[in-house]
Amino acid sequence: MVSPVLLIVVPLGLAFAIPLFGFISKRIVKYIPIAAFAFNLAVALLLIPEVLKHPIVVRIGGFPPPFGINLVAGPVGVLFSVLIAVAGLLVAIYALTYIKEGSKEKYHMLYLLLLTGATGVVLTGDIFNLFVFFEILCISSYALVAYIGDRAGIESAIKYLIQGAVGSSFLLIGIGLLYGLFGTLNMADLAQHIESASPISVFVPMVLIITGLGIEAAIFPLNAWLPDAHSSAPSSISAILSGIAIEVGLYAVVRVIFTIFGVSSIFMFLVFLGILTLLIGEMCAFSQKNIKRMLAYSSIGQIGLIVFAMAMATSLAVTGGLFQLVSHTLGKSLLFLAVGYMIYRSGSMEISSLEGMGKRMPLTSLAFTIGAFSIVGLPPFVGFPSKFLIVQAALAKEAVLFTGLIGLVLLGTVIEGAYFFRVVQALYFKKGNGDSERNEAPVTGLIPMFIFVTLIIVIGIYPKLLTDVLNSAASEFLNRIDYIRSVIG
Amino acid sequence: MKSIISLILLSVIALGIAISLDKIPFGVPKTKIGDYYIDKGREETGAANIVTSVVVNYRCFDTLGEVTILFIAAIGLGAVLATRRKKEKREIEPASLVLYAGCRFLFPLILLFGAYISIHGHLTPGGGFQGGVVVASAFLLAYLGCRGRRVSETGIKTVESLGGLVFIVVGLVGLAVGGHYFLSNFLSKGELNSLFSAGVIPIIYIAIGLKVGSELTGVIDHLVEESE
Repeated sequence: MVSPVLLIVVPLGLAFAIPLFGFISKRIVKYIPIAAFAFNLAVALLLIPEVLKHPIVVRIGGFPPPFGINLVAGPVGVLFSVLIAVAGLLVAIYALTYIKEGSKEKYHMLYLLLLTGATGVVLTGDIFNLFVFFEILCISSYALVAYIGDRAGIESAIKYLIQGAVGSSFLLIGIGLLYGLFGTLNMADLAQHIESASPISVFVPMVLIITGLGIEAAIFPLNAWLPDAHSSAPSSISAILSGIAIEVGLYAVVRVIFTIFGVSSIFMFLVFLGILTLLIGEMCAFSQKNIKRMLAYSSIGQIGLIVFAMAMATSLAVTGGLFQLVSHTLGKSLLFLAVGYMIYRSGSMEISSLEGMGKRMPLTSLAFTIGAFSIVGLPPFVGFPSKFLIVQAALAKEAVLFTGLIGLVLLGTVIEGAYFFRVVQALYFKKGNGDSERNEAPVTGLIPMFIFVTLIIVIGIYPKLLTDVLNSAASEFLNRIDYIRSVIG
Repeated sequence: MKSIISLILLSVIALGIAISLDKIPFGVPKTKIGDYYIDKGREETGAANIVTSVVVNYRCFDTLGEVTILFIAAIGLGAVLATRRKKEKREIEPASLVLYAGCRFLFPLILLFGAYISIHGHLTPGGGFQGGVVVASAFLLAYLGCRGRRVSETGIKTVESLGGLVFIVVGLVGLAVGGHYFLSNFLSKGELNSLFSAGVIPIIYIAIGLKVGSELTGVIDHLVEESE
C-alpha cells in the first residue's frame, strides 16, 4: 500500500533537489514539476478506492494522535489531492514554453512548493500543521505574483503580502487561543472537546481563524488583494491561484467550521456572505475592460457561490458545492491558460485587443469559449451539472428564503453569461485591427488546454464519474463524529 | 478619520483576545499533551532536551514545513531581486584594520560555536535553527570585514539542497524500515545525555543547521549584491 505522506514528501524532496538537477543540466529542471505531479496523480488515484471504504490516518513518526502529527486522507483530502495533481501537471506542461524570462529554476521550485503546501493543507489532521502548510502555500504565491518583476507585479505582491500576513497572524493567534483552552492541536481532539468550553471563549478564536483563512479564500470583504494579484501574476500562476489556492483556502474554512467547531449558528451568516460575494464579484467582473481582472473577479463570484452552497449544509448542497469547486478549478484554469497566450500574441490585456482572435488563434479561442460556457453553466459542460445540483439543493430546502436566494444566484449567472459572451463575441464576430495571420499557441500550450477541455466535456456528460467521491466527501464534512472516531479511535 | 476607525477596530480585536485569554488559566499545568511530553519525552525519543524532542521528533513534520518556509522566503527574495536591473557599481570603501583583523579572528570561532549549537541540540538549549543563524552571522561579519569577498553561490545552493534532502531521506528511510512511519526514530536511542544519543534527532538537526545557515547566508549575499 502506498502511504499518503508521499503526496507531500516526494514533491517537497524534488523541490529541494532542483538546484542539484540544475547543476547537471539546466534543461531538465522544468520537467521536474511534471514528474512530481504525474507521481502524485498516480498515487492519489490509487488511494481513491481504499479511501472510499474508510479514511486512512497516517501517524508521522509513529506517535499516536493527539501526541504526534497525523494526516487524514479521507475522501475530501484525496479528492483535493487529485484536483491539485491534475491542475499542477497540466499547468506545469503549459509552463514548459510559457515561462521564458527570469530565473526559471526559482520559478519551478516555487511552483512545486506552492502546490506541495496546498496538498499538505488538505491532508493534514493537525491545526498547527495546517497553518505551516498554509504559510508554504501563501509565501510561495507572494513570490510568484512578483515573478515578472514589473511595477504592477511588485505592487500587487506587496498588497497581497501585507493582507496575507495580517490573515496569517489572526490565524496563528486563533490557534494559540485554542491551544490555551484545550491543550491540544489535533483537529479531531479539538472537535471532541470543543463543546466543553463556554461558547464565548470559543467564539473569539473561531472568528480569528475564519477571518485569517477567509483572506486566502477571498470571501467578501477580505478579497481586496485578489484582482491585482491574479491579474499581474504570470498566466500559468494565475491559473493555479484561481484554480487551486483560493479553493484550498475555502477548504480550510469549511473544515474548521464543519469539523472543529461544528457550529450551525453561523451558517445563515455565511449563506448571506456567499450571496454577497457572488453578486459583488460578478458585477465587478462585468465592468472590467482588462480580461485577466475580469477572470479574477469572476473567481470571486464563483467562490461566493461555493460558500453559499456549503453553508446550506445539507448533504445535497455540500455535494453541489464540492462539485462546483471541481468545475471551477477545471474551467478557470483553462480560461487563464488560454488567455495567457492570447495576451502574449496581442501584447495587451484589454478585451478590445482580443478582437478577431477567433481567426488568429482558432484552437485557443475554442478552448476559451468552452471554458467560458462551462463557468456560466451551459450543458453539456461540467459547469451545468454542478450549478444544477446547487439549485436543486436550495429548492429542496423548501423555504421561501432559499428560493429567493437561488433567484439571486441565477441573476449572478445571467451577469456572468453577459460578460463572458461579450468576450466570446469579440473573439469571433469582431474584426481585429492588427494583423490577422494565423499564429496559434505552441503545442505545449494546446495539449494542457485540450486535456482540460476533454475533462470538462467528459465529466459534463457523465457527472456520475464523480458522484461516489463527492458524496462521501460531503458526508466526511457533515459527520464530524465519524471523523473524530476514525482519528482518535 | 481613517486612523480613528482603525483604532476602534483594533481595540475590538484586542478586547476579544483579552476576553478569550481571560478564560485560559495561567500557570496551571493542565495540558495533557504537555504533561505527556515531560513524562515520556526522554524515554520515547532519547533526547535530554525535551524541547528538542518535541520539535524534532513529536512534531518533526511541522519542523520540515518551517524549514521549507525559510527556503521559500530565501528563493522568493532571490527570484524577486533577480528581475531587477543591476545598478551601477559603487565604490566600495575597504573596512578599517580593526574590523578586518577582528573579523578574521572571530570568523572561525563563530562558525565553531554555530556548529556546536547545532550538534548539541538534543542535549543543551539550541539546535539547528539557532546554530544555523549563528553560522550565517559569521558570514555577515565576513561581508562587513572583508568587503569584496563573496561566498560561492554554487556552494550555498549545494549545501542548502543537500540539507533539505538529508532531512527527507532520513524521513523516508524511517518510512521504509522503522515500523512504516514517516520520520520515525529508527536508530538506536543510545545513552541519555551523551553526544551519540537520540537516534535520528542529531542527524536531522545538523541537516537543519546546514540548511538554515546556507539559506540565511544566501539572503545576506542577495541583499549585499542589491546594495552594491
